[in-house]
Amino acid sequence: MTPGAMAGVLLQVVLLIAVAPYVVGVMRQVRARLEGRAGAGIGQPWRDLRKQLAKEAISPEGSSWVFTAAPVVLLASTLVIAAVGPFISTASPLDRVADLFAVVALLLLGTVALALAGLDTGTAFGGMGASREITVAALAEPTILLVGFALSARVDSSNLAAIVDRIQDNPAQVLSPASVLAAVALAVVVVAEAGRLPVDNPSTHLELTMIHEAMVLEYSGRDLATIELAAALRLTVLLGLWANLFLPWGVATSASPSALGIGAAVFVGKVAILAVALATAEVFMAKLRLFRVPELLAGSFLFGVLAVSSSFFLA
Amino acid sequence: MSNGLYVQLLYLAVGGLLLSSVLVLWRRELSAIVRLLIVQGTLMAVVALLLAIERDSIELVVVAAEVVALKALLIPGILRRVLRDSAEARETEPLINVTASILTAAVLTLVAYGISRPLVRLAPSIETQAVPVGFAMVLIGFFVLVTRRRALSQIVGFLLLDNGIATTAFLLTGGVPGVVELAVSLDVLLIVLVLQVLAARVRLTFGGTDIDELRDLHD
Amino acid sequence: MNLVAQALLGGTVFALAGAVGAALTGPRVRAVVAGVSTSVCGAGGLLAGIALVDGQTYSATVPGLLPLGTAAVAGDALSGVFVALVGAVAVIAGIYSIGYTSPGSPLDHGPGSGAGSRTVQAVLPLFVTTMVWVPIAGNVTTFLVLWELMALTSLVLVLAEHRARPQVRTAAAWYASMTHAGFVAILLALVLFSSQVGGDSFAALRVGAAELPTTLRSLIFLLALVGFGSKAGIVPLHVWLPRAHPEAPSHVSALMSAAMVTLGLYGILRVGFDLLGGGQRWWWVLVLAAGAVSALYGVLQASVAVDLKRLLGYSTTENMGLIFMGVGAAGIFAADGDRPLATLLLAASVLHAINHTGFKTLLFLGAGSVLRSTGLRNLDSLGGLVSRMPITTALFGVGALAAAALPPGNGFVSEWLLLQGLIHSLPAAGSPSVLIAVAMPLAVGVVALTAGLGVATFVKAFGVGFLARPRSMAAGNAIESPVSMRAAMALAATGCAALAIVPAIVGPTLNRVAATFPTVCDGAPLQGGVTLQLTRIAGSMSPLLILCGLFAAALVIVVTLRIAGRGLPRRKALVWGCGGTRLDPRMEYTATSFAEPLTRVFDDVLAPEQDIDVTHHAESRYLIESVQYRQKVADRVEVALYPPLLGAATGWGRLAGRMQNGSVHRYLAFGLVGLIIVLVVVGVTS
Repeated sequence: MTPGAMAGVLLQVVLLIAVAPYVVGVMRQVRARLEGRAGAGIGQPWRDLRKQLAKEAISPEGSSWVFTAAPVVLLASTLVIAAVGPFISTASPLDRVADLFAVVALLLLGTVALALAGLDTGTAFGGMGASREITVAALAEPTILLVGFALSARVDSSNLAAIVDRIQDNPAQVLSPASVLAAVALAVVVVAEAGRLPVDNPSTHLELTMIHEAMVLEYSGRDLATIELAAALRLTVLLGLWANLFLPWGVATSASPSALGIGAAVFVGKVAILAVALATAEVFMAKLRLFRVPELLAGSFLFGVLAVSSSFFLA
Repeated sequence: MSNGLYVQLLYLAVGGLLLSSVLVLWRRELSAIVRLLIVQGTLMAVVALLLAIERDSIELVVVAAEVVALKALLIPGILRRVLRDSAEARETEPLINVTASILTAAVLTLVAYGISRPLVRLAPSIETQAVPVGFAMVLIGFFVLVTRRRALSQIVGFLLLDNGIATTAFLLTGGVPGVVELAVSLDVLLIVLVLQVLAARVRLTFGGTDIDELRDLHD
Repeated sequence: MNLVAQALLGGTVFALAGAVGAALTGPRVRAVVAGVSTSVCGAGGLLAGIALVDGQTYSATVPGLLPLGTAAVAGDALSGVFVALVGAVAVIAGIYSIGYTSPGSPLDHGPGSGAGSRTVQAVLPLFVTTMVWVPIAGNVTTFLVLWELMALTSLVLVLAEHRARPQVRTAAAWYASMTHAGFVAILLALVLFSSQVGGDSFAALRVGAAELPTTLRSLIFLLALVGFGSKAGIVPLHVWLPRAHPEAPSHVSALMSAAMVTLGLYGILRVGFDLLGGGQRWWWVLVLAAGAVSALYGVLQASVAVDLKRLLGYSTTENMGLIFMGVGAAGIFAADGDRPLATLLLAASVLHAINHTGFKTLLFLGAGSVLRSTGLRNLDSLGGLVSRMPITTALFGVGALAAAALPPGNGFVSEWLLLQGLIHSLPAAGSPSVLIAVAMPLAVGVVALTAGLGVATFVKAFGVGFLARPRSMAAGNAIESPVSMRAAMALAATGCAALAIVPAIVGPTLNRVAATFPTVCDGAPLQGGVTLQLTRIAGSMSPLLILCGLFAAALVIVVTLRIAGRGLPRRKALVWGCGGTRLDPRMEYTATSFAEPLTRVFDDVLAPEQDIDVTHHAESRYLIESVQYRQKVADRVEVALYPPLLGAATGWGRLAGRMQNGSVHRYLAFGLVGLIIVLVVVGVTS
């Protein structure tokens, strides 16, 4: 591994960590403005993190090491994805470490860590959140893998960099039905995995509706900071993956500093646009009833199937 | 129009047709379903227009105009009237729940792909490649007929089926002659009208159009 | 006599001596004798298996040993893998059984009962011996005799605790009938095969198979599929599995669920790929479909099960389903002529079988450890074991991670391989055949849904069963298991970890197995050490580096948190009780409530029976005194399919009963009529 490539990976991870809370901040701010509020500014998530990091962590009585370890596992799995994915460059030396399926599995690992922590608190809320989160994650899995199928079948590789490179080489593919259908399917799943509307409402604490928040209810202080950062990072990673898989322009194909710089700038721009779009869409959306979420995911599964089949009957 | 753009637009329109058929399964509000039918009719007209431009055929332009008039304006308009007169705004309980319907649609699409292979192989061209979509629409239309309870949903299923047949015809033969298309579409219109009257009578007599209750009429 | 023979025969002698010894000694000594001899026999198998995979061969014939013919053994790399698997599980189960069956556990119901009884302890090493020999069998007679012995010895072991729990007898009855129905199918297949070929040895069958007419070959394959499928727990022949595996003593469950079901896979591979040499495409479409149905149905039932061992039993059906999917897809591509892809899929299946053996052993032993300590299998009453049985909990966690197919567990590696195989089924250009275009996306969807629900299943098993606070007195009084049980589980966990981190160690094994099917496979599918690379397919993944990355990231996070937290200690506090109430364990989520959303989503498939009783106060019906909720998820396949079959069988029995009235003359007349019919048939046909 050359020093330049190493620097590229490091830059990518640091950039993602730095940007992630701002993504959340931007989304909250857009939402606030559209709802006629002033909003706290896009830097508020970072200020919250700094405040929480300085506070003590509290474990509920009767909980175990699982509760303590879960935030670390969640953030660590997300960091690994941040390191291996082609976010600003496809020339990453770590690309061979994990392909699309490994990335999906790592995301799931983080979800599982948090679900176990939710169960470990021994409260009804924790169990409820864990149960719902795992149900949604389990039902989203077929869509993700089918989209992976659609994307990797024609490239003959499931490595993310190979897929991104291939689409960069054939820009006409972006508007092919297969690609459009896969994009829609993956968008639904990104929304479900990131816990955004209409699947989950990140700003609710109402027991009837919450999923993610119910699991992390007992966390405080630096544990909570870790989880909040990981959640923001997951959102950024998912948005970035979606952007680079379907709109791959600007991703650096070499490890030269200028290419990496352009890659980083383009990445920030793409994620910002997507975040604004997502936040705007959320303002006009109501949360789905929990038991209509499977319908939504079945719909996205269907899009996945159509993406795979249209990749060979309309190609 | 360049060939690449033609192909892309045609496939996008065809993809949209398939999408609108599937969304019919997902939406419960009957008014939304009627809106989807309008979208579908428009997309079919787009397909006809694309073919017309590609082949410099005036006849196909006429067909496209017919399609817009009938499938995007007239028939949905009638359905809207039916909807306004009835109290049933939603398809409440399909025989097979929505999730399962969507999964079935996925399987039906694959089946459509499978059974249309021989046809596509007969005359491989840009248009025939998309024929599976027409087949899938026919199958999904049939599926709606089989599983939905409301009389209006039945009409919708029937229309989906008809749209599927028309799409297949466009793609396979570059459009049936305008006169035939007109005649068939008028047939469909007639059927819709008859069904509308029937549904109204049923509602008058039984107070609802759950067609499962028609079973009681059998003797 | 080479190493294989020495190891196998040595192990067998030890096992026989152990059986005799266990029958003659007292309870405490008996446990040690049976356990040690089982382990030694397993070690012999492991050694022999490794030697076979390494390229040694072993064949011998002993005329006259069996009443019906010659006993013959012949081992190749394929036998080697399965012998080694059985041996490895036996080593672990043997060590485990020393602690598990020694007197003094809450499961001990007095002398002569349960897993520590004389019969059970004596049969244990015999069961392992027959299993070790099954894949070595070199002709039809030997195979059938060993297969039947394996079934009988395991039946005795399943019955071990029948005095304590009457439901053991029902389970054993199901097991006995299913395993014998399966045996009949295998018997018919192999006897038909050898009679048509005119030879008894597998070598003769292999040579003669090509000459057989297609319909006959198909018939043989279908019969074999039914027989071996029932052993592997493939839907709809799985019904015995979720009954027998939970009711058997836990180390026997591990042997059955991790080792014995795998022999069903061995049978399919041996008959389908080796003896019949690949065959028709539709055979393998059938295998793929059966596998898909089993995987989905198994994982669905597992995700809503509340009995920990039943859950693991259904998970076995799920994993065998995944394995059969891989085998089916391999067969399809082999029939289509795409042999490199077939090789990859076959390697994925065998690797998943190896991984499944590893984690299922660990999980059943973990469940046994809980059962021995608390007497509970019901997840709804468990919990809080993480502080009471820390080692069991941690080791069960390792197994659950693997079974959920999450990195860095070993199950993930083989599922990844399976997915790679399925995904690269589409040609990079041009149109695939209709079958592949329709089947492969669905297969990927099935694997994905199975993986997703598998995660839910094991989050439930681990999170509800081991974490939080105990939901019953028994769980609250749990104590850690004896050292031999912990050691056995640690051994299994080490195996899982090794397979997870450096899967490349089994790469050569898989390549050799593939080489035993020259008509199906082509080339070596797996390459690479640290990073897993595939031949022809540009997919790569490195479990070791992923693990290192996770560790490095975790280290950085922990250090950063320490620095940022400026040494503030972690504080324990009460959980938030919604304003005033102290939460008690009855308010925790249970396994039933955890699985409730899934039960509801898959309501149409599972059809759970729910029952709510509301009791009102005597004074006013507006006040509720208590609410009782019961839910039972029956096995729908069993309920729908088997009663008609059983009814038909009973009907036939009644009909047959009418033919007899106790008169000796009538029976003699039957004999006469039978004789005449046989003579006439022989006269007409010859």
